[in-house]
Amino acid sequence: MIGNIRQQASGWLVNVAIAMTALRTNLMRSILTTLGVMIGVFAVTLAVAVGSGAQVSVMQSINALGSNMALIFPQPDTGEGGRRSFDRGRLTMRDARAIEKQISGIDDIAPQLRSNIQLIVAGRNASTNAVGTTPGYGKVSNLVAENGRFISDADVRSAARVVVLGPTVARKLFGDFDPVGETIRINRAPFTVIGITESKGSSFGNDNDDIALMPISTMRQRFSGDSLAGPDDLQMLFVGFQDGISLPDAKREMTKLLRERYRVRGKDINPFTIRTTEEFMKESAQVTGIFQIVLVAIASISLLVGGIGIMNIMLVSVTERTREIGLRMALGAKRSDIRNQFLVEAAVLCVIGGAMGLILAIAGGTALTVYADFPVPIGVGVGVGAIIFSAFIGLLFGGYPAVRASRLSPIEALRTE
Amino acid sequence: MALVETQDLVKKYELGGETVRAVDGVSLSIERGEYVAIMGASGSGKSTFMNMIGCLDIPTSGIVRIDGIATSDRDGDALAELRNQKIGFVFQQFNLLARTTALDNVAVPLIYAGLGTEARREKAKAKLEEMGLGDRLDHSPAKLSGGQQQRVAIARALVTDPVILLADEPTGALDSKTSEDIMQIFESLNEQGITIIVVTHEAEIADHAKRRIEFRDGKVIEDVAVNNRQKVSS
Ligand SMILES: Nc1ncnc2c1ncn2[C@@H]1O[C@H](COP(=O)(O)OP(=O)(O)OP(=O)(O)O)[C@@H](O)[C@H]1O
Ligand SMILES: [Mg+2]
Repeated sequence: MIGNIRQQASGWLVNVAIAMTALRTNLMRSILTTLGVMIGVFAVTLAVAVGSGAQVSVMQSINALGSNMALIFPQPDTGEGGRRSFDRGRLTMRDARAIEKQISGIDDIAPQLRSNIQLIVAGRNASTNAVGTTPGYGKVSNLVAENGRFISDADVRSAARVVVLGPTVARKLFGDFDPVGETIRINRAPFTVIGITESKGSSFGNDNDDIALMPISTMRQRFSGDSLAGPDDLQMLFVGFQDGISLPDAKREMTKLLRERYRVRGKDINPFTIRTTEEFMKESAQVTGIFQIVLVAIASISLLVGGIGIMNIMLVSVTERTREIGLRMALGAKRSDIRNQFLVEAAVLCVIGGAMGLILAIAGGTALTVYADFPVPIGVGVGVGAIIFSAFIGLLFGGYPAVRASRLSPIEALRTE
Repeated sequence: MALVETQDLVKKYELGGETVRAVDGVSLSIERGEYVAIMGASGSGKSTFMNMIGCLDIPTSGIVRIDGIATSDRDGDALAELRNQKIGFVFQQFNLLARTTALDNVAVPLIYAGLGTEARREKAKAKLEEMGLGDRLDHSPAKLSGGQQQRVAIARALVTDPVILLADEPTGALDSKTSEDIMQIFESLNEQGITIIVVTHEAEIADHAKRRIEFRDGKVIEDVAVNNRQKVSS
């Protein structure tokens, strides 16, 4: 039994040796054939890695928002259809307070106004997206002041002219100099820099650090009072929930509360939209999933072409070596020996090509990660998968030529010139 | 029991509506230890006959028995095993694998016999040394003379210790001096008890055999014992 297994194993090793000899004999041709598989495996491996990289990056972006959170904005939610009983979207500071008071499991809330602003200091200027908010913003979106302090309740009450800068804005205005305590001009009014936020990287190609934060009251007074219909209106409300709170339940409760407040009845559409981070994650996973399938499908075409190249070369090889096949049969080779010899030859070609393609994909993935700041994780699983898959391609496309070789009659094969 | 036995052996080819009877009802038996020369004009069916008793070709009708085994009862794998174990082939064109050393060429049948690498090398080396090629183990066929190549081929035919050696015009591609060397080898192999069947056109080659079978148009027209070896070599 054991002897038999050893014999079989050594039989396969012999086939590998025969294959290597045959491949070395036609070195140039082998290399060119390998190239096709190499490009195919490279494309597929990189496509898989880019796809999962996209997934990782999307999840990171969503986590950067804050992990257990609902976003409410005054935009009619036309998702379900239905009658519209209002002229514009609604969301006010009073709604925010009602939610904070009546919905359970809330960690903190962050009402927001947003505006584009111009910052100037000592001849340098920068424009950025400013968020007028409350101290809750730091907690809800996991944002802390790395240097200095965050906006306080007192700042909000007094509509103080203070600003917290994102690292990108701080660098634009001050370089390496520590700006905390400095005075800058925002749309001509003097503001004191009270803090710098810690870096949150970028998501979806957006720089999360290109931001400035100020008290919501200050923002309302100076920058966006005109663009809003009511003096109490909000452009956005973040509601952060404690861990373990069910976001779908919370969303249902908030929807019910706001519908009561705006007297929305029956199937009428809501003048507000509530989205949760959980929904974002699900949608993103779906989108990146489709993205990945499309990518891999396109890449697979090149692998298919590589496989057809293998089949072509193996057919040529079988034809060229018909006499050798006949000879081997005369010397005692069974059909299965001949078939295995050519199968192994195709598999060896493919595995070499696959290994080279994998190396190339790792290089390409690393380059993407380093130069494009896009994570392309090529894990051990993907690597092993690529090699096994290329062997499979070899067996698949080498199968027909190999079986054809094994079906030759010994004497016909021997007589071939 | 005869080592090789045929009964009413027929091989027909259909060529453009015309039937060629390459071998046409041959019945004969060859005993263990015989040395047989098969002669006849070109196209008389010698090779076709040899290929059928070598289990390389399938008869149209009739029976071939090797060592009592009827080949028609056996499937392809069993015939491959039979060729591997009992029959050694020597071809006119040597049929060595190019770009492969003499040693590896000789070892090929042992691969299919299921031997391990070490055992293969040892046996192949021993057979090559018997053929006087102990110093040519690592030479590829391109670096060997015709006679040397044929001796490598003979070593390969013998490496599984077969009972029959089938040689179809083994000296057809060699000069007369080298042919004589090959015949010496055959003679000594026969003395060791190996049954030899050789196809040839040349009377000098046939004269080494102990029995001569003459083919014409697919039929045996003469089957005689030969006893004139002394006369030829003197
Ligand atoms: N594959 C084939 N298809 C058709 N006819 C064939 C085939 N093989 C052999 N023949 C025919 O069978 C006859 C016998 O051929 P065979 O090769 O056995 O002759 P031979 O005696 O070996 O001749 P030579 O001395 O020239 O080698 C010839 O007429 C040949 O044309
Ligand atoms: Mg012939």
